[in-house]
Amino acid sequence: MLSYVVSRLLWLVPTLLAMALVTFLVMHATPGSPLDPVAEGANALSPEAQKNLAEAYGLDKPLHVQFGIFLQKAVRGDFGTSFVYKTRTVAEIMAETFPVSLLLGSMALALAVVGGLTLGVLAAVYQNRSWDYVSVSVATLGVSVPNFVLAVFLIVIFSFILPIFPTGGWNSPRDWVLPTVTLALAPMGIIARFTRSSMLEVIRSDYIMTARAKGLAETPVILKHVLKNGFIPVVTLLGPMFAAVGTGSFFVESIFRIPGMGRFFVLSMTGRDYPMIMAVVLIYGAFLALMNLVVDLLYGILDPRIRY
Amino acid sequence: MVFSTPASDTSLPTPGAALAASRAEIRGSSLWRDAWRRLLRNKLAVAGGVVVILLCLLAIFADVIAPQSYTKPNFGRLYESPSRDFPLGTDQLGRDILSRMIYGARVSMLVGLGAQVIVVLIGVPIGALSGYIGGRTDLLLTRFVDVMYAFPRLLFVILVMSMLGAGLMNIFIALGLTGWVGIARQTRAQVLSIKEKEFVESARALGAGFWRVMNRHVLPSALTPIVVSITFGIPEAIFTEAALSFIGVGINPPTPSWGQMVGENQQFLRSYWHLCVFPSIAIAVTMLSFTFFGDGVRDALDPKLK
Amino acid sequence: MRTPMRISEAQIDLFARRLESIGVGRRDFLKVVCAMAAFGGLGFATEARAARPSRPGPGEKLAKEQVLRYGGGGWYQSDASSHDFNKDLYCTGVPALFAGLMVFNADFVSVPWMATKVEGNKEGSVWTFTIRKDSRWSDNSPVTARDFEWSWKRQLDPATAAPYASFLYDLKNGEAFNKKQMTDASQVGVRAKDDWTLEVILDGPRGYFPVLAAYLAALPAHRGAVEKHGDKWTEAANIVCNGPFTLEAWEHNKQYVLKKNPYYYGAKGVHLNRVVIPIIPVASGALPYENNELDMTLVQPGDLKRLQSDPRMSKDVFRYPFPGTWYLLPQTTKPPFDNLKVRKAVAHAIDRENVVKVSQGLAVPAWSMIPPGFPGAVDDAKIKAIQKYDKKLALEQLKGTPYEGGKNWPKITLSMRDEALGAKPLAEAVQAVLLDSLNMKTDLEVLEPRVFRDRLWKQDLQFIWIRWFMDYPDPHNEYFDTFYGKKTTGRRQAWINDAFDRELEAGRDTRDPKKRLEHYKKAEEIMQQDVGYVPVAWVVRYAAKKPWVGGIERNKAGDFVADGNIYVDMLEHVYITERG
Repeated sequence: MLSYVVSRLLWLVPTLLAMALVTFLVMHATPGSPLDPVAEGANALSPEAQKNLAEAYGLDKPLHVQFGIFLQKAVRGDFGTSFVYKTRTVAEIMAETFPVSLLLGSMALALAVVGGLTLGVLAAVYQNRSWDYVSVSVATLGVSVPNFVLAVFLIVIFSFILPIFPTGGWNSPRDWVLPTVTLALAPMGIIARFTRSSMLEVIRSDYIMTARAKGLAETPVILKHVLKNGFIPVVTLLGPMFAAVGTGSFFVESIFRIPGMGRFFVLSMTGRDYPMIMAVVLIYGAFLALMNLVVDLLYGILDPRIRY
Repeated sequence: MVFSTPASDTSLPTPGAALAASRAEIRGSSLWRDAWRRLLRNKLAVAGGVVVILLCLLAIFADVIAPQSYTKPNFGRLYESPSRDFPLGTDQLGRDILSRMIYGARVSMLVGLGAQVIVVLIGVPIGALSGYIGGRTDLLLTRFVDVMYAFPRLLFVILVMSMLGAGLMNIFIALGLTGWVGIARQTRAQVLSIKEKEFVESARALGAGFWRVMNRHVLPSALTPIVVSITFGIPEAIFTEAALSFIGVGINPPTPSWGQMVGENQQFLRSYWHLCVFPSIAIAVTMLSFTFFGDGVRDALDPKLK
Repeated sequence: MRTPMRISEAQIDLFARRLESIGVGRRDFLKVVCAMAAFGGLGFATEARAARPSRPGPGEKLAKEQVLRYGGGGWYQSDASSHDFNKDLYCTGVPALFAGLMVFNADFVSVPWMATKVEGNKEGSVWTFTIRKDSRWSDNSPVTARDFEWSWKRQLDPATAAPYASFLYDLKNGEAFNKKQMTDASQVGVRAKDDWTLEVILDGPRGYFPVLAAYLAALPAHRGAVEKHGDKWTEAANIVCNGPFTLEAWEHNKQYVLKKNPYYYGAKGVHLNRVVIPIIPVASGALPYENNELDMTLVQPGDLKRLQSDPRMSKDVFRYPFPGTWYLLPQTTKPPFDNLKVRKAVAHAIDRENVVKVSQGLAVPAWSMIPPGFPGAVDDAKIKAIQKYDKKLALEQLKGTPYEGGKNWPKITLSMRDEALGAKPLAEAVQAVLLDSLNMKTDLEVLEPRVFRDRLWKQDLQFIWIRWFMDYPDPHNEYFDTFYGKKTTGRRQAWINDAFDRELEAGRDTRDPKKRLEHYKKAEEIMQQDVGYVPVAWVVRYAAKKPWVGGIERNKAGDFVADGNIYVDMLEHVYITERG
């Protein structure tokens, strides 16, 4: 078990290294200079100013040297200073925005798991009856409507038609509701659909048949066996899902004006903020890998047949 | 983040699939007939399939079906709400939204299918090679796949789009380059589970070459998850195109795309609701149909679930 | 007031270059020179601006809570990189935190602010600012001449790596010091003679210097805070301000909260105790404003018509001056636009009346570069006829070309910059009318700003949809800075025309205002005859404020003036009245 964990963690190193390299190369191959001023309407910099800045950021060095320097620093957790937010280091920005996204993501995922499991179980138990259709519809709707559309619909409904929630902001729990719901619906749909099918698989399996044949009451059977075994495959979903939701969604965060990390997924790119791009990709990658590891371990605990 | 549907992204062990695969070898094409029959019995899947076919027809015959040109402005009638002349209203140039949406179906279908072609062309060979050859090649390829898998998909797509520039072809490439990972993993898993099977072993023992084994034995069995993966990959691609157009790195005007229509107008939902609502519905219905259809296909090909 | 000093053409050019170097390219610089004209060629007042705190009008009662929430629609759409204007005037921070020697009033006249008086020597090469003694930094330390000396030298210091330091190259030895050609900072031409007297020695006659001194780039920084906290000195916990407001909180990517600076000399006249500026992306449109989360906002095209037709909100919306021009650049080096006949066809093919309809009131048809009401505007039937919309005439132009009858067009890509100002619908309308008139099918390519600029300067684009926001209201800006063929850098188009260039040179070198304008008119005509560009639309802009927001200044024309590149003095005057 321990050696399994260690080897997985060790594999993380080459994985992240490769990710860093790919991102680095694509990023530098993209047209548009990171030295251009950020502000709309700002004048292009004079050649001398460009040269000075390139020197200051180390962009005048050959690519492999730049990459080497990046690695040396990144190992120590130093991703450098943002090209856009010039007085702040990437590490600082991440330290500030990551927890916000994490909070939002955790709430959304919690909602998604609770809602998704409920819907999924209902659907499976009442297969092909109206409950099934209701929950499948709700679930599928969640997966089918892009969250940037959903966000605006929710704002119109809950800020204007029923003035309950603000259109955005991140100050009080009241501000959390709409973005959490928006972010939760898609994973909720996925979890519900997945729960439904894996529950159905278990319900039809031999051992449940046997349990029923032995005369066990319906409810305990379902609760004890079906839920537990039906939940196992769902767990595998949670890793990537948590990584996606937990590192924030660009759309939800920008529409609801949430100071999280998600907006940097797009802004770092359009701003050609090299240090930020690298950090965002690597943090996401590491987070995803860790989540997957946790999930695999959890999987092993839930399903004793699996040994490492 | 754009979510991936589970079937396309997780390499879950699907015991049924292997079973089905071996059966496929035994019974040959009857599996497909059975699957077809099972698919027809699934009402939701049929409904989804019908809508998908309708959408395809819409996309193919857009020129004939669309009541008006998708480029022709009508400057006297900007931003009009739905009326008899314009069943879904007009947009910022007074163009008929219904017609634009019909042409938008073309973009969505093209993106969905086009991206999947690239996904399959990259993903299946890598997965198959990795699984079949095994050893160091497998390790290397698996690691590569893992690296790609760990990328934040949307960010990577945007990276690639920034590098290539906007446009339909580039969307294919960007989606293809970033979307093949799931299918590669699944193909590999399938190939792994099949290649040790006796019938494959014996074929090899009889001196069948790599391609023959692949074509005759391995790939047909691996087809199920690939087909399922494609049916889920299509809506995902449509979704991503919508997201890209929303950010503004998608399709170039005047070609209409649903995602672009939604993205450009969502902020004006209160002023001109129809600009955003109808394309949103179109996206949702398409996603729903593909999802139902995909579910149906999976269930049909994987009889253990039904 | 002293007798106005004559500013030579050469100085005006220098002036333009200084402003260009800091990118006062955008819009409002225009009014600066407008004001220069008004002040007999000076553009600044030498005496302290009259204390003129805004007062509620009759029937208005000040609210107890003097808090303004503003932003959105393009204001403060992303987190600032800092509030350190002294190092980077495009830090996109909040200007009201700092007060310079001079400030632009609502008519864009530069008036003394932290100075009480400004005097020049006869030729305008030495300027002496007398600093007011009654204003203090927010840490209760006096604002002195030494603060300005130190701040300007900081900007010029190569170690600071200030991107727009060339703005201060008028200072004697400023350029040499910045370019590391000399290291002795004491040789730089700015010196505090004592705490209250700042002497600025320039490289030569610079009659416009007091105008420069009103720009953001000339704002001071607080030495103590900078030396103690380095780059982080503008974080809320560290910052020391001398403007009407201080930074109470800066929640990154979320909002700025400003608080009245009690040590500011005019604090008594400042009504607002607190200003909340949430950072709101343009895409949110007017929603936060309509949901009463903001008291004031900019208005986007998709919202304007609705707000205007809303009985309650229609009174909130006001138009403000914003001269700018949307136009097409057919690249004369690339087919089919290398053919003059094709370009002429395009000029006649643009149905401007209809195109501007899509802007929903935020643009009007244009027939020349300069909008009406600004110096150099042409109201001439002959020029209007050159690009008059006429479908038949447009098609006729194509006779004898390979594209006769609107056939055989090659692939044509119309390129534009990605921006959230309703630019795209206009471009799409242009596409549509070109298809309609000439059967010319175009692809619209919306490029990321950085990529667009890159390719624009390389003249790599085939067909361009672009704008020019007036920098200063002189035709020199509209024609010379944009279309002059001998410009070595920053040329947007490959088109060159010697006759046109000669008119521009003549316009530059002529003194007589009437004759100058004649040259520019001739230039416009030449350019349009040769279709170096195709004018399409002039820009119009709107903002909205709640009924309880008072004190927004008006200019001489009676229009409201909101914060922009030049005028940043709005907050000091705003007050909140009781909601009736």
